[in-house]
Amino acid sequence: VSTQSTWGVRFFILLLYIREMSASTKTPVPESVAKKAQRDSALSAAKIKSAVEAKKTNRAFRQAICKRAKQYADEYAANQANLVRMKRQAKNNGNFYVDEEPKLAFAVRIRGINAIAPRTKKILQLLRLRQIHNGVFVKLNKATICMLRLVEPYITYGYPNLKTVRSLVYKRGYGKVNKQRIPITDNKVISSVLGQHGIQSTEDLVHEIYTVGPHFKQAANFLWPFKLSSPLGGYSQKGKHFVEGGDYGDRAEEINKLISRMA
Amino acid sequence: MHKNSRQPYAVSEKAGHQHSAESWGTGRAVARIPRVSGGGTSRSGQGAFGNQCRKGRMFAPTKVWRKWHRKINQNQRRYATVSAVAASALPALVEARGHAISNLPQVPLVVDSSVEKFTTTKKAVALLKALGAYNDVEKSKDSKKVRPGVGKMRNRRHVIKHGPLVVYNKDDGITRAFRNIPGVDLCSVHALNLLQLAPGGHVGRFVIWSQSAFNALDSVFGSGRKEATEKVGYNLPHAILANADIARIINSDEVQAAVKPVKKSAKVPRQKKNPLKNLNVLLKLNPYAQTQKRAAIFSEKSHRERLTAQNAKRGVKAAAKPAAAKAAAKPAAAAPAKAKK
Repeated sequence: VSTQSTWGVRFFILLLYIREMSASTKTPVPESVAKKAQRDSALSAAKIKSAVEAKKTNRAFRQAICKRAKQYADEYAANQANLVRMKRQAKNNGNFYVDEEPKLAFAVRIRGINAIAPRTKKILQLLRLRQIHNGVFVKLNKATICMLRLVEPYITYGYPNLKTVRSLVYKRGYGKVNKQRIPITDNKVISSVLGQHGIQSTEDLVHEIYTVGPHFKQAANFLWPFKLSSPLGGYSQKGKHFVEGGDYGDRAEEINKLISRMA
Repeated sequence: MHKNSRQPYAVSEKAGHQHSAESWGTGRAVARIPRVSGGGTSRSGQGAFGNQCRKGRMFAPTKVWRKWHRKINQNQRRYATVSAVAASALPALVEARGHAISNLPQVPLVVDSSVEKFTTTKKAVALLKALGAYNDVEKSKDSKKVRPGVGKMRNRRHVIKHGPLVVYNKDDGITRAFRNIPGVDLCSVHALNLLQLAPGGHVGRFVIWSQSAFNALDSVFGSGRKEATEKVGYNLPHAILANADIARIINSDEVQAAVKPVKKSAKVPRQKKNPLKNLNVLLKLNPYAQTQKRAAIFSEKSHRERLTAQNAKRGVKAAAKPAAAKAAAKPAAAAPAKAKK
């Protein structure tokens, strides 16, 4: 039962009471009762008005989200098509198209918390990977690449594709709201924190993360470290580098397969 | 306060020590406890004096100089009495304490002073019945039970609920009239007993006042402005609330003007639903997903139609299932390719 309907019901009952009291027996209605009825009517009117207004603003909000989501979808498709075009062009001309170096990485902590060297421990803390199977989005630059390299035996990382980013944010997305871990069940959760940076919906958030926009830091930090499950199908060997046939370290695009087994 | 009527009990001082027992010391393959001296009886050589010994003195023998009574500050005591009297005037509290007062004409119940001259129980009972107070007496009568516990063997056999408390100013026979009625207690207004006004520490005893007793309350406790005459320098304590009509205070203009608006409690979902599986939740987060899904369905449908048209053109029977259609398309594609070659 919504608060709005109980207000209305209460007000209605009060009105009936007042009408009955004043009409039938001519006993004066107590002043407090009359005042309360007045107050309740004003409140319910205000509530109805605000509900109508909220509906209007919400509609506009959702239309804006749709518009931006379409923009992003077109952007992703255009980028993909462009990439294919460039590659084909290079091939036709006998050149090589050098892919852009990846800007975004997703790092997952592979190992537990016991017996860790202090520097490694600190770096893992800085990366917000404090628990096994925690995952975070990391912007790749010289600094972060060095950090990831230093903690390689404890993490596996790679370059997530759009589907991975989307599935992580939608299925396992929790935001840091007021220092609390709040599930992203509504766009308001996102807009309340990141609205000032122009990120107001999950699609905005996914776009910011995937394209490593100007507010990537705020967006990625808003996302609580992802708590992933152990991979279905298992690891091959946590103690070895991916390149050696194991699991830790940089596994480039293969991270997507792993995450699909973990998320 | 209930402790003040206690009688001391203690074990005899001499208990357990009326022996000349001495420990045998070490080296005799027995425990070092003092043993009864002498011979010729099985008692000799038995352990004595210790609390662990048979016939020995108890641990920490109880003493009569135990603190039996409790001093309560006079003002505190009076505060309690006054509060109990006030509580007896609130029907809600009296009923909450468990008295049957629904048939009373009024609470507090004040009866004409002639009740103080009653001498016969018959008259007393008739009065209670007329007042509608007899229900409480009957409740008390029905509640007579044997006390659970050892008290039943110690002259405290029965337990009974408290009924009405009759408060009088001058005893002209009222005590003798009412005292045999089960559950009824009597008290002079000049010496109100807190143990009767608030039995068990619970306020709200059902009190029947005689008129003169009720009038005397002012002189016993003072009114709010005037000091009491029967107690030196005593006046009623200040009320915690000057205006006890809390509903009226809450609904007053002054309070309502300063009150914050009603907080809308945030709806916390009990379970996070997966947007990748649950369409409604997905649409809540990303309204554009609807358009995307529709477009995907439409494009798949048109693709399949185009495929079947193609197959029909190439003379291959179109299969119902898309997988089979794909399989049909593959050899169909292979056949013209081979034909080309």
